[in-house]
Amino acid sequence: MRQLKYLLVVFGLLVPAMAMAHGPTRQKVTLTTEVAAEPAEVWAAIGDFQDLTWHPAVVSQTGEGGNEIDATRQLYLSDQGADGPTIDEVLYKYDAEKMTYSYRITEVAVEVLPVTNYSSHLTVKPLDGGGSLVEWRGAFYRGYPNNDPPPELNDEAAIAAVTGVYQAGLDALVDRFGAPQS
Amino acid sequence: MRLWTALAHRSRNFALFGMIPALVASALAAGDFAYVTNQNSEDLSILDLDAGTEVARISIPGKPAGVAATAGGHVFTVSPDSKVVRRLDATGAVQAEVTLDGGPIGIAADPARGRVFVSDWYNARIWVLDASTLEIAQMLETGSAPAGLAVSPDGMLLASADRDSDQVSVFDMETLDLRHRLPVGTRPFGLAFAPDGRLFVGNVGTDDVTVLDAVEGTTLATVEVGARPYGVAFAQGRAFVSNQYADSVSVIDLATLAPVGLIDVGEYPEGIDATPDRDTIVVANWFSNTVSLIDPATLEVTGEIDTGDGPRAFGAFIQRRN
Repeated sequence: MRQLKYLLVVFGLLVPAMAMAHGPTRQKVTLTTEVAAEPAEVWAAIGDFQDLTWHPAVVSQTGEGGNEIDATRQLYLSDQGADGPTIDEVLYKYDAEKMTYSYRITEVAVEVLPVTNYSSHLTVKPLDGGGSLVEWRGAFYRGYPNNDPPPELNDEAAIAAVTGVYQAGLDALVDRFGAPQS
Repeated sequence: MRLWTALAHRSRNFALFGMIPALVASALAAGDFAYVTNQNSEDLSILDLDAGTEVARISIPGKPAGVAATAGGHVFTVSPDSKVVRRLDATGAVQAEVTLDGGPIGIAADPARGRVFVSDWYNARIWVLDASTLEIAQMLETGSAPAGLAVSPDGMLLASADRDSDQVSVFDMETLDLRHRLPVGTRPFGLAFAPDGRLFVGNVGTDDVTVLDAVEGTTLATVEVGARPYGVAFAQGRAFVSNQYADSVSVIDLATLAPVGLIDVGEYPEGIDATPDRDTIVVANWFSNTVSLIDPATLEVTGEIDTGDGPRAFGAFIQRRN
């Protein structure tokens, strides 16, 4: 939850996101969780690119293009709307049948999420014996594009921040749908 | 020269180690081998492409990305995080290493002249290293953020993809003088010379490939490919371009430059290369931790081999062992 709090409270300087520049090593994070509800029910809750408000860090959002390729969304992480911390994202893959979508961040201040060149996949899969597996994967570079990053913008900080975001979202799904009975 | 040599904090020649792996090498099978740098697990997967298996995994600290495997049986690796360039023998035994400054990332070998070239992502330059000692012999000035390096098939030209300058620098291999600065698409990263000498440059920002005549310094064509093209390889009269964000490989006919296929591979395909007899294309899938093997004639995926975590294989990574 520490990372989630960081995501929510930080406003910082509005340095333009350096989406084009990045450090030398791309990082990857994969988190999964299991929930009791069937995939169709889970996908109905999280499979709309225009609604990430099931994630506790996302207060509200706007967007265009529905679930078409190149659809956009702007996530508002406070009750300040566009005046608070935001993340701009674009959809680049969507497959309702396979219950998966992929998106990229087009604009975010590194003070909000210390990453650049971020892309992500969200997928729901059936579990043997009922219930669903939700998988959230991300690929990104650290927030600091140059050599010798400060600690808050290094590879570890980027991994920790993305892990925190995914964990908070997946935890919310377990709260909502329950853990599968073992 | 002495100044550059002094910048190399460490330059060691593991003469003794060099002898032991030679014995091991003779016990290894002949055939095609891939040397895949695994950036996230910080090691090198040695893949026997004929058997379809990983035969060794060698620790390479410092998040290795760049790789250059030579016909002479050497493998060079670049670790951007620790700024270390290593020379290994075919079995993966380290024979020499040097610690550079800046941001080393891409590498290409010039076996004929006993040199290797390493791009410096942060300082707009290329190191020219002695292939044997890895001592710095010279520096070449490039555009901003040079990444991929390639040597022409006739060994006469060196090209660098200068990512943040949206250009390619072309150098004369004999004199190391700059021959051309050629504008390409947005954010070129990987590049490779076709067997006929044309230079193919993948533009990450514009999702296309610029085809250059690097001798004359002219642009021949721009060819659309998939999202975030990364690397280019050639076989059977075709170019194969890995599309990082599309999980696919675009196929381009070399005679017409028309698209002739799109092949689904693993997630985040990056480094791509052909076997020396050009009967197999190998592409490293960074997120899937595999390489996909492609038949360049049928355009079908014929197999997958597991690697370490985060295979990048950024460079010419396939070697034939006799």
